[in-house]
Amino acid sequence: MNSDDLIASLSADLRPVPRHALGQKIALGLLGGALLTLLAVTQWLGLRPDLMIAMHGATFWIKWAYTISLALCATLAAARLARPDGRVGTALALMALPVAGLALIALVELAATPSSQWLAMWLGQSWLVCSRNVFVLALPILAGMTLAFRRLAPTRLALAGASAGMAAGAWGATLYCLHCPETSALFVLTWYSLGMIAAGLVGRLLGPVLLRW
Amino acid sequence: MQHDDDRLRALMLAGLAGDGAAHAALLRALLVPLRRFFRRRLGGREDDVEDCVQETLIAVHQRRDTYDPSRPLGAWVHAIARYKLIDRYRRQGRTTGLEDVPELADEFDFAEASDARADLDRLLETIPDKQAAILRATRIDGLSTAEAAEKLGIGESDVKVSAHRALKALAARVRGDRP
Repeated sequence: MNSDDLIASLSADLRPVPRHALGQKIALGLLGGALLTLLAVTQWLGLRPDLMIAMHGATFWIKWAYTISLALCATLAAARLARPDGRVGTALALMALPVAGLALIALVELAATPSSQWLAMWLGQSWLVCSRNVFVLALPILAGMTLAFRRLAPTRLALAGASAGMAAGAWGATLYCLHCPETSALFVLTWYSLGMIAAGLVGRLLGPVLLRW
Repeated sequence: MQHDDDRLRALMLAGLAGDGAAHAALLRALLVPLRRFFRRRLGGREDDVEDCVQETLIAVHQRRDTYDPSRPLGAWVHAIARYKLIDRYRRQGRTTGLEDVPELADEFDFAEASDARADLDRLLETIPDKQAAILRATRIDGLSTAEAAEKLGIGESDVKVSAHRALKALAARVRGDRP
């Protein structure tokens, strides 16, 4: 086909593009995946029985502040990388802030706890499954974001994939908080973060394969 | 003088709002810089060049919702063309890193191209109209001496002499000499 015919066919029946089409696509992928993850939390893992009580305490909100702020940074980075000329800017570097904040809280916690209990605090009741659960819960969200990104135009596929993976990991961890009764900052800092990093790595590896256009 | 990037951006925005004619005008306007971009980098293989141009046009069309209206259009189109070029290299088994293709190729630096043209326009205003018209015809539009003479309705030798004087005067202006 010659280029003039191509242009004519592309311009025929042109549909208007809604103003925030890019954000809508990403939000749709994110929400679709998050619904599946929420279903997994409620049906497979179960909500923590004391959820209502926990929501009145500070620990629950510290955990959420950690996972939600990481999720927002990574989602912002991913959304920027969905444009061909997108720059991550400071969005990814900002993720160091919540990590540093939680590390500080963990230090205070350690100082207030006899050292004989440090190991128990670090491992909690569920260290063996926590990272795995966060990782598994991230997968539906990563799938939803991948579907959205395939219709957008990322050009730095590995970085876009890693950002989407981190975002999925952090949103997955946010929903995992509805199940997980662990309270120590050191626990969250270690095992939650490991699960998120694993999701980020999967995104990093799959990005160049799945996001090509 | 209207900047090219602004003009193409306006077409893009109209296209995003659903104006098919503006969309077609934009895609047509992109043909020249896209062909130049791919021709320079694929060297001679005309079929490949046109393939890449068409792939880029399709991507510009299909992924137009990824354009951020607050940013220059040239940078966005270039990023897509660059991605398509690298994708082609990859398929051909060439391992070309992103860094081997410049961040912003001058083909798409619409704003700068029109800045240069604005500079030229200002400079041409400093010499007599007739000389400026002759320079435009012979040096910018690329007409031959005979064509320029016919277009402007003057003799060929007049064209030659005036062009020579005009260039001398411009050179003096650029060097900063007083006339």
